[in-house]
Amino acid sequence: MHTAAITIANRDGATHVVDAGRPLLDTLLELGVDLPYGCRYGGCITCAAKLTAGEVNQEEQVALNNRQLNNGYIVPCVARPLSDCTLEVGVDSHDKLYRNPFLDPLEPHELKPNLVPPASPTTKDR
Amino acid sequence: MATDCCGPGYASPGDAIKAAREKLLYTVALYTGTGIQKPDYLATVDADPESPTYSQVIHRLEMPGIGDELHHTGWNACSSCHGDASMSRQYLLLPGVRSNNIYVVDTATDPRAPSLHKVIDGDEIKATTDLSGPHTIHCLGSDIIISFLGDANGEAPGGYLHVDEDFEIVGRWENSMGDIPYGYDFWYQPRHNAMITSEWAAPNTFMPGFDLEEVGHLKYGRRLHVWDFEKREPIQTMYLGEDGLLPLEVKFLHDPDSTHGFCCAALSSNIIHFWKTEDGPWDWEKVVDVENQMHPEWPIPLPGVMSALLVSMDDKYVYVNNWLHGDMRQYDITDPHNPRLTGQVWMGGLLGKAPQVNGVDVAGGPQMFQLSLDGKRLYVTTSLFSTWDNQFFPEIRQKGGVMVMIDCDVENGGMKINEEFMVNFGTEPNGPSRCHETRYPGGDCTSDIWL
Repeated sequence: MHTAAITIANRDGATHVVDAGRPLLDTLLELGVDLPYGCRYGGCITCAAKLTAGEVNQEEQVALNNRQLNNGYIVPCVARPLSDCTLEVGVDSHDKLYRNPFLDPLEPHELKPNLVPPASPTTKDR
Repeated sequence: MATDCCGPGYASPGDAIKAAREKLLYTVALYTGTGIQKPDYLATVDADPESPTYSQVIHRLEMPGIGDELHHTGWNACSSCHGDASMSRQYLLLPGVRSNNIYVVDTATDPRAPSLHKVIDGDEIKATTDLSGPHTIHCLGSDIIISFLGDANGEAPGGYLHVDEDFEIVGRWENSMGDIPYGYDFWYQPRHNAMITSEWAAPNTFMPGFDLEEVGHLKYGRRLHVWDFEKREPIQTMYLGEDGLLPLEVKFLHDPDSTHGFCCAALSSNIIHFWKTEDGPWDWEKVVDVENQMHPEWPIPLPGVMSALLVSMDDKYVYVNNWLHGDMRQYDITDPHNPRLTGQVWMGGLLGKAPQVNGVDVAGGPQMFQLSLDGKRLYVTTSLFSTWDNQFFPEIRQKGGVMVMIDCDVENGGMKINEEFMVNFGTEPNGPSRCHETRYPGGDCTSDIWL
């Protein structure tokens, strides 16, 4: 089993060794970490956590927009660690997750990845 | 209530108006998205003014796990099976929008302390019917249909789950979704073989919160759909355009002979009136347009966000909210083409008109509401949806939701906040929760349909 060490910064820095092939939410819940969740397929942000170190694969997620992704948010219900990681979990990590959409609009490149048009091809690609 | 000869509900809307006053309210309360690691629950509120626990939560039925996001609810039976003495209005169905589970709650064995009767497993619903994101429930005689806003992957348009009277999955109800892009609410009018459905968005769009830019990308709805109810397929689309952005709650008049109905377009903050023309096709018009309001700290005017609507049992008044502005409104719809504003009260909202009600801070604004059968008491709650609450009213995390009662003048029109009633979900034992849809044991103004 390929494992990763997951440190939870806002839970006294506790570190948990998990199966890197499985979603972080599943492995951490099994180890007794009390985490929020909702849909469990990457379609809502109830479980969102902030990744402050390390890398994950969350290609299944369809909920986070590019601004949230650029601010380090992951959805642990589908995110699998690609390295050792440090997370902040729960609503305490949600300071940049929610914004009033009228006061703080998104730039076109900050929308959800499936709504951002691909960059125009370069001469080389043609 | 049911008599020896009859099934649930009432023979007519006129009989429903004369029913005994509601003494208990069932309201869903959320911890999903609040930071409190507790299940969502069904709260029983004491609505009997003669009771020592009047205006208090007297029972809490917790769901088995966390993270459901309870939202809307619906009865297993209503006046549509009034003629079937074998049926009773015993079970309240509570869908979890995020978990996809449907909880069947027995409210009859002990009305003050409902109990969990059965769970329709969300993963089984996905596996057998390819549906997720449950919303509105109506019974059809002894069977039940539930609108789902997405497929198993949370993509639109979803469809309709059909369950039988034992709460077993029958399958998909509809024969076709036609070219409907989105689902949300629905109401049917059997004498006209018609069902009307509205459009919110795909679960993957609305569950994470509201990105305004996605409206421009056509990820939110702007249409109403007319269905051939017996053939179970859509037959006409009414494109509302900019007048009908996010058309949510859709209600027919209670009179089963009427084809008139209303819908609230949340983002446009308009009331849409629809009806069947004499020639056959259905038509619509915008009858109320709530203007956006200036806000000292906002660069653009603030929309009302008219997210809910109901019709009084006598078909005389329509009630709507403006969640961001903070007002509840009453319109006289005696002439459905020309509604007349007859009442307005303020509670919460972002304009600062009523930050407190009855001494309690109101986080959020008027959002979901239920009217007594006699039309005199309107119970209003303040939370919309956890992620959307967190965007517009982040202080609701600390303050929780409230339930307010508004006294409504059914003779002359008019609304006034009742000073004796206030349920503060900010002081719940497990911490501040958020209350949403409300129903009463004897039926209410958004449940019953007459055949």
